[in-house]
Amino acid sequence: MKFNVNTEIALTYLTSRKKQTLVAAAGVMFGISMFIFMQSLMKGTNDYFEKMSFTNTPHIRLFSENKVADNHMLRTFLNDASEKILINPKQLQQSQGLTNPYGIVAQLRRNKEISGITPQVTGNVIYTSGSVELPGNIAGVDIEEENLMFDVQGNMVAGSLHDLNRVQNSILIGKGIADKLSLHVGDNITVRAGNGNLVIMRVVGIFATTVRSVDDTKSYANIARVQSIIGKDRSYVTEIKINLKDYNRANIVAREIETITGYKAEDWIKANEQLKAGFKVRAVILNSVIGVILLVAGFGIYNILNMTIYEKIKEIAILKAQGFSGRAVTSIFLQQAVFIGILGGIVGLTLGFSLTYMVSRIYIGAGSLKYLPMSFYIPHYLEALMFGILTTIAAGYFPARKASKVDPVTIIRG
Amino acid sequence: MDNIALKASGINKYFHDPVTMQVLRDINMEVHKGEFVSIIGKSGCGKSTLLYVLSTMDTDYEGTLTINGTNTTGLSLNQLAHLRNESIGFVFQFHYLLPDFTCLKNVMIPALRLGKYSYAEVEQRAYEKLKMFGVEDQALKKAGKLSGGQQQRVAIARALINDPAIIMGDEPTGNLDSKNTGIVFDLFRQLTVEYKQTLITVTHDEDFARRSDRIIEMADGQIRR
Ligand SMILES: Nc1ncnc2c1ncn2[C@@H]1O[C@H](COP(=O)(O)OP(=O)(O)O)[C@@H](O)[C@H]1O
Ligand SMILES: [Mg+2]
Repeated sequence: MKFNVNTEIALTYLTSRKKQTLVAAAGVMFGISMFIFMQSLMKGTNDYFEKMSFTNTPHIRLFSENKVADNHMLRTFLNDASEKILINPKQLQQSQGLTNPYGIVAQLRRNKEISGITPQVTGNVIYTSGSVELPGNIAGVDIEEENLMFDVQGNMVAGSLHDLNRVQNSILIGKGIADKLSLHVGDNITVRAGNGNLVIMRVVGIFATTVRSVDDTKSYANIARVQSIIGKDRSYVTEIKINLKDYNRANIVAREIETITGYKAEDWIKANEQLKAGFKVRAVILNSVIGVILLVAGFGIYNILNMTIYEKIKEIAILKAQGFSGRAVTSIFLQQAVFIGILGGIVGLTLGFSLTYMVSRIYIGAGSLKYLPMSFYIPHYLEALMFGILTTIAAGYFPARKASKVDPVTIIRG
Repeated sequence: MDNIALKASGINKYFHDPVTMQVLRDINMEVHKGEFVSIIGKSGCGKSTLLYVLSTMDTDYEGTLTINGTNTTGLSLNQLAHLRNESIGFVFQFHYLLPDFTCLKNVMIPALRLGKYSYAEVEQRAYEKLKMFGVEDQALKKAGKLSGGQQQRVAIARALINDPAIIMGDEPTGNLDSKNTGIVFDLFRQLTVEYKQTLITVTHDEDFARRSDRIIEMADGQIRR
């Protein structure tokens, strides 16, 4: 083997003290594997919850928002340019629906960032079966589009969602509603709208999301049917749901859509602020834990190198007497740190991956969560390696510098 | 001028611990290329201290030191390290090998540091040096496993590996029997004659001193003669 002489000396010191070398490397290994494992677990769960939130919420929701009365409205109403003072302004009920929704949909479909778009009518209703009444809301949708965007099929526990288009006057209800009203596929359900309209509908499917409040209140019907139930015309749409190719750009695209349409476009981040807050808290906890682990691993290396230098101080003096410069001595000891880091790093990467893989096979079986959601994300491995090597270099630097400052005469004189 | 290997002028050195005392007093000396010089004197008179100053390892002194025409006083530590590596071979009073390395490696390390020869050439040369001192059969043993006398001979071989212009020894034969002392002396003599290498050795061995070219006698931090 042909190495630089510094490297050769570093390796000899490492191999002549195998036990200490292995202990130090084990510290690094532990740090790196925990780093990978915890990052994978966190990203896995975060991704899972993010995905889960998208089964109910679109990336962007476009709707018309009530506004507080202002001077501009008053001037338009009075048709003059006078300055009025408004005392105690109130929220104004806008027509609630969107004007020309299908025009907006057609226009937005041309946007390359949008992967799915569907209009929806929502109305508050009361479900009745026998003598039991249950408040809830009915969503009028194009069920095939809805399914493409939100995987309604994945939540179906009975019946078929496609029957919504095949069977007249049909409805899909949440499992909570079905249980409370003891309804099965094929049964009839009475739906009463806020305006007093009363219709009897046929249950063609039952769905269960993991969200209880949804399952207890929500139902799907054809958009045209819901429009007529709540007494609105065919152009009445309460919101347009939009999914993007890259949901991380939701807030940017939402702002674009707002300026184009003039309606309120709410992105999923705003709609799920507590989810994001949860992510942040978990990230802080995780990073503290990782920081502590790496710190401990760093101290291990620092200690062991310090001990080596204490033991080898005479040899360092001899090397310097023979013409090794301070820089050469630094390099000898820094290289020992780096070798420990690389050894611990490689084993740590493997161990981290194995641990992540093993845990990802643990069966959980809670709701739609069958296995622990672990992500296998290459940047985690690169980050872990980088942090590991940085820690070892930082931990090795101070002992190495101390070694380089050894004065050969003082030591050799004894 | 160009015949002078080493020149020290007005060297004074003090130790401050526990109390300030002067160890070297106004040392002036010149050593010619190819000269074989012995330094003798009572224990504690400052021989080792002087040798450390002459070897450039100790930079805490007054006066000037010139080696091969280069004024070394005031050079940086890195420059001095390179100078030692290339031009000075040093044999310590207590042999001082690196115990984790084989004898061969111990001899090779200064040459690998210098980087003048390839690894294979260095290995070859190190082997020859060990052979000169009759320890080639110990080449692959860990240095820590050798007897004192064997270690000393390996240490001398190591001092010669870079063909240094000046070889300094602090009682280099202190641990050797008369037969091996004879071998080492003859070798030193050969180096000065054939290769014009300069030798400065501190010794207690009167016979060894008498057979060298010149004796410098020290007493109480001064050169007597
Ligand atoms: N580090 C030191 N601090 C203080 N005094 C020292 C130190 N090293 C050596 N001395 C003193 O300096 C004097 C010269 O020592 P040294 O050069 O080792 O003598 P020699 O080699 O001739 O026996 C001695 O009196 C010794 O006690
Ligand atoms: Mg001495």
